[in-house]
Amino acid sequence: MTRVLEAVGLAVGRGKTAVLSGVNLAVEAGERLALVGANGAGKSTLLRALAGLDPVLGGTIRWNGGSLPLGAERVRTLGVLFQTETPSRFSVRELVTLGLGLDGPASPPDRARVDALLERAGLTALAERSCAQLSGGEAQRALLSRALIADPRLLLLDEPTNHLDPARQATLLGWFDRLRGNTAVILATHDLALAATCDRVALLDDGRVSHLGTAVEVLTPENLTRTLGVGVRRLDDPNGGPPLFRVVSA
Amino acid sequence: MKRQALVPALGLSCALVAAIALCAGPSGWRLPWPVTDVITELRAPRVVLAALVGAALAVAGVAMQSLLQNDLADPFVLGLSGGASAGAVTSLAVAPGMPPGPAAAAGALGAAVLVRWLARGPYDPARLLLAGVAVGSIGASATGLVLVLAPSSRLLRASTYWLFGGLGTPAWSSLIAPAVFLFAAVAWMIARAERLDRLSLGPDVAASLGVEVPALQRTVLLLSVALTAVTVSAAGVVGFVGLIAPHAARRLIGQGHRGLIPVAALGGALVVMLADTVARTAFAPREVPVGLVAAAVGGPFFLLQLQRGLR
Repeated sequence: MTRVLEAVGLAVGRGKTAVLSGVNLAVEAGERLALVGANGAGKSTLLRALAGLDPVLGGTIRWNGGSLPLGAERVRTLGVLFQTETPSRFSVRELVTLGLGLDGPASPPDRARVDALLERAGLTALAERSCAQLSGGEAQRALLSRALIADPRLLLLDEPTNHLDPARQATLLGWFDRLRGNTAVILATHDLALAATCDRVALLDDGRVSHLGTAVEVLTPENLTRTLGVGVRRLDDPNGGPPLFRVVSA
Repeated sequence: MKRQALVPALGLSCALVAAIALCAGPSGWRLPWPVTDVITELRAPRVVLAALVGAALAVAGVAMQSLLQNDLADPFVLGLSGGASAGAVTSLAVAPGMPPGPAAAAGALGAAVLVRWLARGPYDPARLLLAGVAVGSIGASATGLVLVLAPSSRLLRASTYWLFGGLGTPAWSSLIAPAVFLFAAVAWMIARAERLDRLSLGPDVAASLGVEVPALQRTVLLLSVALTAVTVSAAGVVGFVGLIAPHAARRLIGQGHRGLIPVAALGGALVVMLADTVARTAFAPREVPVGLVAAAVGGPFFLLQLQRGLR
């Protein structure tokens, strides 16, 4: 089976200066990978390159074994949730429909599909409301729905829980699990507890991927202290759930 | 009103206003029959030009606002009004016998090219807008300098129609090319309406939704500038319509370009036909520039709509 995403010897940066180099990443269908690192470690830069938004400085990225297509095929390959997006005045229904990447009005089956997703995302009552009038959590759900409507094989999320209070974070992650189906996910996050819920974690440090493995292997106090520059204590869940992290002074 | 009824309703309103415009002349109102040369050779082509100018400016305004993700963008925002004014006034001062339309269009195009060059490199709406403001100001100051240094009342009066818009007495044959271009541009944009929808969300979002962003940006910018230059060459700088018609259309039909483009085009045509009728008749036998009338009549109407929306 082809990999959803495969990056080999990747170098990415802003302008011509490499922020990260020698990056090798592969993501299988349904897998969830977290990118963790300090500010400026290159999480967003890497994510933008993986979304095909910026040209890479070196190496190759293959999506489903090939390059990124345009149009409706693009949104079936890859969905993106940006860290910040200026709210538009499209209605929620229009915004989610745009996620289908269509060239023309939506067909009746497409419209039914949008309705079904709006229902699952709890947005049916807000379907005709302008996105500019949504609360932060509602807007995030609408944007997530837009990223998922075409049922992409891979979803890229940049700091999905940023600016959300803990209750909304938990709610968003609940929605997210409910909506994503078998879509593979790569997310960039500062939130170690969120990273710990992922199948694998890539730690970005010193211009490269310094560690790549399961959350338990990678998110060790020693690794985190070295990459984030603070002391971190890990509190493992005796019931086998994802661990919690507590930042202590260095 | 139902959204589907909007385009036919606006079309009917346009036909009605066109009929009124045909009846209205400097010597008062008169039914347009028997059909005379005044109707067929003077008024009718002017009414058609008014509709073309209004529609072109409205469509260019929609394109510019979506391209720059900025509600304040209008067809002239990239320095085009300054360039057009400077071109027209210079032409009137240097070669008073020549029609200044080509020079005005060349000034507008020159300003747009200069702005795009100044804001070259990675696409950045903020830099485009800033360069547009700067180039527009330089053009406006050049216009002022020409008017001050070559002071003749004839130049000043002739210039007014190019600075604030005037439709003159166009020949039928001069309307064919602009009409064909306008219909082609509108058809092209409607065929890509959903891509324009995605482009209006910003280049990154548009790219992530499958749009080939740089190619679309290039063509939309080119079309918008070309539409504006065509209106400038025929009628000078008709302001306000290209800003207000898109906004009014958005309020009526929403953000989707498939409905927005035709509604804005019809709305723009309606406003300029109406404004020109007033411009021709209100101060007869003198004519006032159509852009001034459009702003004077349309401004309060739009503010009223805005107030209603805020409530």
